Amino acid sequence: MRIRRPGGLMAGTGLALVAMAVWPDVLHACPVCFDRDDEARIAFLATTGLLTLLPLGLVVGTGVWLRRRARAMRDSKGGGRER
Amino acid sequence: MTARATILPFRPKPRRAEKVISNGVLGMLLFVFVEVMLFAGFISAFVIIRSRAVGSVWPPPNQPRLPFAETAVNTSALLASGIVLLIAHRTYRRGNRSIGGLLAVATVLGGVFVALQGVEWLALIREGLTLTSSTYGALFYTIIGAHAVHAVAAIGVLAWAWLRLMAGRLSREAMSTVALFWYFVVVVWPFLYFLVYL
Repeated sequence: MRIRRPGGLMAGTGLALVAMAVWPDVLHACPVCFDRDDEARIAFLATTGLLTLLPLGLVVGTGVWLRRRARAMRDSKGGGRER
Repeated sequence: MTARATILPFRPKPRRAEKVISNGVLGMLLFVFVEVMLFAGFISAFVIIRSRAVGSVWPPPNQPRLPFAETAVNTSALLASGIVLLIAHRTYRRGNRSIGGLLAVATVLGGVFVALQGVEWLALIREGLTLTSSTYGALFYTIIGAHAVHAVAAIGVLAWAWLRLMAGRLSREAMSTVALFWYFVVVVWPFLYFLVYL
């Protein structure tokens, strides 16, 4: 029976990460990332930011709202019991 | 044979946790998130295509111009509808069930928005702007059409809510769920209006 050592797994993962960081070259397939036209590049960056941050904002915003709502419900219940 | 006494640990019956939001509202919230991302994708596509327009000229030459001023009337109707529904929703949440008139006004104003959009589309098609006439036309009909589909669906849901209200079977949760859908349709419109029409 073979005993798997966690150190081997760590070393393998580390090696894979190093390979992923070193191996690829800059990707030139994107038609707007390396555009000389400033307007296109700004548009690309702005929309990338929008599509990256919007879902995070929605999830975080909803989480905060739910937490506040739950706390308000708990407080109102606690207040009711004291009375 | 010996009898064994088993001592069962005391386990109090777990109390059902009170819901922070109803299932309907949570479901609609998730649906709205998906739709927000859909429109964010449309907006991104529009912004990138516009930025790469030939000679940086947008709208492209030889294409009909979108009626910005006329569409302001539709926009006003939609925003007014949202405000009326907000008042109705708040009133209903306070326990006042006499919101039939307000709900009807919100629905009719939504209908006015869609009807005026239809009239505008007919005029644009007559002027030569179609889905296949240019990228400009394709973007316009895809983005504004997607919003119109949502508006029509939301008007249907508002009408359903009104019927339930008249029958005295509209719960507060159902009202909140319906209102959430309509708020989404109303709030997303100004972004599309200023982006696509201006």
